[in-house]
Amino acid sequence: MSPDLAMVVAAVALPFVAAALTPLVFRVLSEGTGFAGTVVALSSFGLLATQYGSEGSVSLKWIPSLNIALRFYVDGWALLFALLACGIGALIFTYSPAYMHGESGLVRYYAALLAFMGSIVGVALAADLVAIFLFWELTSLASFVLIGYYTADDSSQYAARMAMFITVGGGLFLLVGLLLLSIVAGDVLGPGAAFNLAAMLEEPDAMAAALRERGLFLPVLGLLAIGAGTKSAQVPLHFWLPNAMAAPTPVSAFLHSATMVKVGVYFIGRVRPMLVGPEWLFLFATLGLTTMTVCAIMAVASTDIKELLAYSTASHLGLMVAGFGFTSVYGAETGVFHLLNHALFKAALFLVAGIVAHEAGTREIDKLGGLRHDLPVTAVITTVVALSMAGIPPFNGFYSKELLFEAAVEASHHHDIGLLGVLYPAVAVFGSIFTVLYSLRFLSLFFGERPEALGHVHRPPVTLLVPPAVLALLAAVVSVDPQIAVDAIVQSGLEATAVDSQEMHVGLPTAYSTPVGMSAVTIGVGFIAYPFYGRVHDGVRGVVGSTPPIRPNWWYDVIVEGLSDEGRSFAEYVHDGHLRTYASWTLGATCALALTGFVAAGAIAPTEFGLEATVPIALVLLVAVIGAVAVARSDSHIAGVLTLSILGFMIAIFYILASAPDLALTQLVVETLVLVIFLLVIEEIPESYEIGIGNVGTVVRDAVLSVAVGATAFVTVLVTTGARPDGPSDIARYYAEQAVPEGGGTNIVNVTLVDFRGFDTLGELAVVALAAISILTLIVMRGRGDGDELTDMPADGELPDGELTDDERTGTRSDGGTSGGADE
Amino acid sequence: MTTVIMRTTARAIVPIILVVAISLFFEGHNLPGGGFIGGVLTVTAFAIVYMAFGLDFLERGILGRDVDPGKEPSRDRVVLAYRRLFAYGFAIAVASGLAPLLFGRPFLTQTYESLEGIPIYGYLGISSALAFDFGVYCVVVGGLLTILSVVGAE
Repeated sequence: MSPDLAMVVAAVALPFVAAALTPLVFRVLSEGTGFAGTVVALSSFGLLATQYGSEGSVSLKWIPSLNIALRFYVDGWALLFALLACGIGALIFTYSPAYMHGESGLVRYYAALLAFMGSIVGVALAADLVAIFLFWELTSLASFVLIGYYTADDSSQYAARMAMFITVGGGLFLLVGLLLLSIVAGDVLGPGAAFNLAAMLEEPDAMAAALRERGLFLPVLGLLAIGAGTKSAQVPLHFWLPNAMAAPTPVSAFLHSATMVKVGVYFIGRVRPMLVGPEWLFLFATLGLTTMTVCAIMAVASTDIKELLAYSTASHLGLMVAGFGFTSVYGAETGVFHLLNHALFKAALFLVAGIVAHEAGTREIDKLGGLRHDLPVTAVITTVVALSMAGIPPFNGFYSKELLFEAAVEASHHHDIGLLGVLYPAVAVFGSIFTVLYSLRFLSLFFGERPEALGHVHRPPVTLLVPPAVLALLAAVVSVDPQIAVDAIVQSGLEATAVDSQEMHVGLPTAYSTPVGMSAVTIGVGFIAYPFYGRVHDGVRGVVGSTPPIRPNWWYDVIVEGLSDEGRSFAEYVHDGHLRTYASWTLGATCALALTGFVAAGAIAPTEFGLEATVPIALVLLVAVIGAVAVARSDSHIAGVLTLSILGFMIAIFYILASAPDLALTQLVVETLVLVIFLLVIEEIPESYEIGIGNVGTVVRDAVLSVAVGATAFVTVLVTTGARPDGPSDIARYYAEQAVPEGGGTNIVNVTLVDFRGFDTLGELAVVALAAISILTLIVMRGRGDGDELTDMPADGELPDGELTDDERTGTRSDGGTSGGADE
Repeated sequence: MTTVIMRTTARAIVPIILVVAISLFFEGHNLPGGGFIGGVLTVTAFAIVYMAFGLDFLERGILGRDVDPGKEPSRDRVVLAYRRLFAYGFAIAVASGLAPLLFGRPFLTQTYESLEGIPIYGYLGISSALAFDFGVYCVVVGGLLTILSVVGAE
């Protein structure tokens, strides 16, 4: 069955439409807007559910001339991810009103959350490279708004900036990878498939072969891995995820455990059939297992329950990436199944953390304990999901972790990876031990002694309890009978991500095998080590705290601060408030760029050019040169202006002699206007230069700069006119021939300006208009700094009040000091 | 620079400049000239008026209004008129570009009509580009005069 375009598009578009309507909805429902979000999420869920069992791609026209379409591909893997986003989204929306009660900025919150959900559904379903990138970056943008929800809070700003910087930066790597992919696809599969991921995935072998043939396989793999790795918080770029806990807890639950961070994992699974191979195994298995272990250790070192969960999320993302990294079918099974399991238990855990923080008033692990008396339902929920996170049988996390062990053991059978064949399983077990440790620690919040300092803990409202309860229930169902989940959706997800898919069976092991032994070791060591949790915790904290360079976060701070400091000092150097500095930099940079461009394009060739000037032209140019020298030597403004005009008029005469009357006319008129304006202004400025000519360095700099500008102009004229040695080009001839029949005018220049190239002229008009507006604004805004003098200016409605900012200094005529000062 | 010589000269040359500017504008399609050149020349005429009679002359002498010397230049009525001029000019240019769309032609398509047997002129070519050129003229005059008067008043 092929998917229905209308349903799919509606499912993706609905959250965006709802996001746009949020301000209106908020007026009616106020804090109940969250429930409207639930309806939207459930509607999208329902629309997607109707596509259950279908497979294929549908598309809408977008940019046909570039073969870009709004193409969606529906299969088990896409549906699994999109349904998770909508389903968990619905629970988050239900949870939000009670949790966010009394907060301001809820319109922004709900609108961003809806747009966020829509973009994740978009990534899940998009099958066009451009559309994928678009939705991918939209998730980053929406998460930026959500993480920075507490706009006044510094840590919130810091975290939002960091998440944006890392994920959007990674997205750019992804973009390059996607473009390389599209170039290859355009050659191999035909131009129509250049951006069509669905078509590429239908011919994975051809694509892989073509990529290898061009030597683009490793670059594409690396670029996509950076994109996916940044998004999915893989080491060493994992640190943004724990920082993102600055977001409100429902956001964390949605964004940083259930969906957004899984976009990277999802994408790895998506392109897996195309790029899988030995390099793939080495890259992703190493990356994933490292992330899994490092982040599990960091989770043990956490002191805040959300921090613990955030590190644990990164660790589990590592598990999924490692799963997809293993090339055997077990690898794909791990990735797909754990994506589902993790979403169920981690979203529930975040929601529980939200309840605890909300009702107990603290998130410090050390200050919490024995909460089962106050929060009995929450305790039951937590037991299910925390044991699931730990991978204790028979909870659902166990099955997918078992698959990881199996894949790790199998890895050495598929490829000759030598020592890594032993190392991978060992690291997987080592990392999992820490998973058991921190899962038990989280669970212990509800058991053991209740600290004295912990005050009264309120009962959570039912809307806070239902969402995690639903998730825990689902997790319990999967725990009891994992085959239900497998048959429902995991199997079809597996078929999309595995090369050699087979019927998948999961269940409790009945006989001994290596993976079972590994699980036993993991759980056994975990439980034995648990009494020493405090010592492990302190030890890790001590090591990490005493050596900042092993923390990527430290590197981030150093680099970002260094860059912004450098940027600031460079900016101060480049525009220091002196007009002449601005002019030097602008002119210098323009010359450098233009000349470099000519050299790079090979436009400058050593050619002979004869000086064929007629006597009149030579005379005119000679006078112009004398005028130019006189400008430089004049010591009063009037003499300078007049001699400059000589130069301008000589150029006009040169145009006349070179038979360009229109140009000459323009030059004459503009020259006259400039002269008149100069004369108008000259009354107001001192008669001669009051400032000295400056030291030798300044003179040399100015001389070098002016020579460079002159040389650039000269070379540019040579290059542009030398481009057509054989007389007028086709286009010039066309204009000359068609001016009368097409434009009805005999002045080619004017006909070209208004008839043939009217659009250019329109653009130039916009420039003139903009210049006028800019000058108006500049002058009007000049007094902005001293805002206290604004009040006495009467407003008459022609301009907004804010623009009435002239102060007394501007009101009186400038006294010469102003222009002198600007020059200094 | 508001000397008697300057004023007398200005009185004589400003009308001539304006007439030349207008004729340059109209014959632009067939001879050197056009909206841009005509516009710049018109601005030159105004600049000379400014130079000879001062910035407030237009308000006081022509519009018969008293000017508050300390007032903000950008809010002068004359400046407002200039601003309107370039805004309308831009609108005219865009509208003349949009008009062909009504006849199913691409944006900014121009056409022309030749009229024979007109009194005095005999033959007259009317081009639709004239409307566009008029927009150019207005933008140039309005924009440059705005800049001139705002910066000049500073």
